[in-house]
Amino acid sequence: MPAEYRIAIERFTLPNGLRVVLSPDHSTPVVTVYVVYDVGARAEERGRTGFAHLFEHMMFQGSKNAPKGVHFRVVESNGGALNGSTHPDFTDYFEVLPSHKLAVGLWLEADRMRGLQLNRANLDNQRDAVKQERRLAIDNRPYARAIVERWPELAFRNWQSSHSIIGSFEDLDAATVADVRRFFRTYYAPNNAVLALAGGLDAAQARKLIEDYFGDIPPHPQPPRPDLSEPAPVEPRADVFQDPLAQVPALVMGYPGPPRRSPDFYALAMLDIVLTAGESSRFYQRLVKGRKSVIQYEANLGWPFAGPADYKDPGLYGIFLLHKPDYRGGQIARQVEEEIREITSQGVPARELNRARAFLRSGRVRQLQSSRSRAAALAQYEMLDGNPDYLNTELDVLLAVTGGQIQRAARQWLSPRRRTVLEIVPAKDPSRDRQGAVERSEP
Amino acid sequence: MNPTRPPRTPDFEPYKLPPVFETTLANGLEVVLVEDRRFPLVTARLGFQAGSKFDPPYLPGLSESTAALLTEGTKTRTARRIAEEMAAIGGGIKADSTPDALIIAASALAGPLPQMLDLLSDVACSAVFPPREVALRKQNRRQELLAQRSQADFLAAEKFVEVLFAPHPYCRQDPTLESIARLSRAGMTAFRDRHLAPNDAVLILLGSLPSRRETLELIRARFGDWKGRRVPLSPSARFSRPKRSITVVNRPGSVQADIRVGRLAVTRAHADYFPLLAANNVLGGGASSRLFRIIREKKGYAYDAHSAVAPLRDSGLASVITQVRNEVLPRALEGVLAEMRRLGQRGVSPRELAATKNYLNGVFVIRLETQDALASQLAGIRLMGLPLSYLEHYGPRVRAVQLDRLQAAAAKYFDPEASAIVVVGDAEKLVPPLEKFGAVKVEESR
Repeated sequence: MPAEYRIAIERFTLPNGLRVVLSPDHSTPVVTVYVVYDVGARAEERGRTGFAHLFEHMMFQGSKNAPKGVHFRVVESNGGALNGSTHPDFTDYFEVLPSHKLAVGLWLEADRMRGLQLNRANLDNQRDAVKQERRLAIDNRPYARAIVERWPELAFRNWQSSHSIIGSFEDLDAATVADVRRFFRTYYAPNNAVLALAGGLDAAQARKLIEDYFGDIPPHPQPPRPDLSEPAPVEPRADVFQDPLAQVPALVMGYPGPPRRSPDFYALAMLDIVLTAGESSRFYQRLVKGRKSVIQYEANLGWPFAGPADYKDPGLYGIFLLHKPDYRGGQIARQVEEEIREITSQGVPARELNRARAFLRSGRVRQLQSSRSRAAALAQYEMLDGNPDYLNTELDVLLAVTGGQIQRAARQWLSPRRRTVLEIVPAKDPSRDRQGAVERSEP
Repeated sequence: MNPTRPPRTPDFEPYKLPPVFETTLANGLEVVLVEDRRFPLVTARLGFQAGSKFDPPYLPGLSESTAALLTEGTKTRTARRIAEEMAAIGGGIKADSTPDALIIAASALAGPLPQMLDLLSDVACSAVFPPREVALRKQNRRQELLAQRSQADFLAAEKFVEVLFAPHPYCRQDPTLESIARLSRAGMTAFRDRHLAPNDAVLILLGSLPSRRETLELIRARFGDWKGRRVPLSPSARFSRPKRSITVVNRPGSVQADIRVGRLAVTRAHADYFPLLAANNVLGGGASSRLFRIIREKKGYAYDAHSAVAPLRDSGLASVITQVRNEVLPRALEGVLAEMRRLGQRGVSPRELAATKNYLNGVFVIRLETQDALASQLAGIRLMGLPLSYLEHYGPRVRAVQLDRLQAAAAKYFDPEASAIVVVGDAEKLVPPLEKFGAVKVEESR
């Protein structure tokens, strides 16, 4: 079953080290400018948790020729949308624009790659915005503190991977303008970045614009890379998190994943589709439908902060399950392991594997419809793998994975002694007991 | 090239809809075919006037659960078979309801279009609501609702529509624990029989389609025998007069206050709609909007501070949404109300208006990049009773908005004195500071 698409790719590197990927496609009059810097939360230092994210906010606070507020105004008044986000292993920024507004996005990205306008007042209000973001997304939300803070602590031994990506209030308060300046000098350099453009563009014209805007930005010394190495798992790990905001119990399970781009990496990605993708998957048919124990779930290589292909090693295969209160977390974990065991003992029938392949093919075509997701994947693959063409070639590798490979990968990577389990239980509260009683009285 | 100035770029072209063909089958089913050969995919929407506004008052969530059960078993297919057949063609099928409509969404790789249409017509016409699937839906929906109710933004949205729309059925868009317990196979079957008729439906099909004749043959063979019948009318569109009220939904232990401020506005067909859309964008539409600039970037009160216009078929909402830490609630709320007032009293500059028009027109095109997005837009427009040319007229209508009309729309629909305020958070901490804005009604989160 060959893939029906091919994404155009042109690559070059500017003399200052900026790697560029161009992908012209005129199916819609839209272009995405996507810049990724090779620094994420896992590069943070002790006492500065949340700094990569706070810094991402500072990238929108003004640069030499585009002072505070101008970035937003220029993008939006040219009909564009924008954002940035901090990941474990990189930080990205994008503008999606009507295609003939390409130069606007390049001008803005080049201006802030050259330098920021930093001051205490802007740092203080962004610190407040980030703290508010933390209250909104984590402190006031059920399951979030367990997933964002307790889970990495439990699943990783290396502090670089186990610390909070959003950061503590204490560490955020300690950040100074000098820290922001130092972070910029260390990591925000053309030689530590990838620029990808996808959509309605002319490659030759785009290249000329990029050389004009980015060509004279000086490179910095190559930044240090964090040591992310993780000791091999020797025994299962488990914990229980009392969540005062949750009303329905949940379970997180995870297994250290195979090396990125190794044969087992692809086999595990296929295994994940068989287990969890769509309503014909095993988890849905057997746990949600058959046993009626699980209500909803999500799972991925890279979960919860990354997708299957946008993290550096080592990564985890993570599973989150919301389950009925009449089951305990341990029972749900055993049910999940039974599903894994069935694969390790019996493999995957051909029909099921073919369904997984169809799911994969259509999912890939769907993903490629948007210029932003094309640009993001191309830039990330350039940065993480040194090869954006994986976007064209990896589908065939995935489609060629056999049932036997899946079986062997499940046996090796998802064995019970490698697992970490975090139960999230609604914290005791008298009003909750009442609801529990209603639940039990139902037929 | 001058690096100190934003580059000059040409103006952008108006949106061109891909080629559209419309027809009506003998049984009244409206069919819309859209040629979109960019990707080897096909996408369908089959929509009915059968949204939550048709739920009986004692049974909110009936439309939603009826929709969910359509794909859980038919006369000839079990739920599992539906899921497996769909997965085998790289597709998916899911039905859901909005306040106005019940919509079945399906998509697949382009080759197996006939199989996708088989499944679509089967779930639309022949669902049987198997008792064990109904029982499981009730169990799971109950737990999902409990999980939703642990989220402050869900509680805020739920209370906000209740305050603004009562007594119209738009005031109940989510089920309750009691109504979930009342769901039954008979009730869902009756809802389906009453509301899902071809003469009240639109089928939108887009993607890499075969020839028009062949596509219509495929559709007629599957939907042609479906019998038309009389369907119920929409509940009468009577709404209360907008007025200031303050409601606190108590959520003990909340570390922030979730605020909604707003009032009833207009449908997409109303003459005020485009001026309001522009006013909304200046007030809180993006990162260069006034709320973002002042409430977040200048004051640091919130991470999110935005406004929204939500048109429905028979009414609409204009609202401001933000979440602030407890200590700054009165200052932040004052700030929000002041920005609403200022927009109505002083209007906007010609430069702000021009920027807003560009933003609206640009993101409109950006949001149509995928087949799914285009299908959803087309279905939404059609189910609101508007012509598909609405998409092409969107740009010119945005361009035609005048300064005075924008200001008038702001003065009317973002009038703080006529707006209801809903705050979700720790009542003990929030009620005293809120009392200076008026009488506060406190409700426990259910």
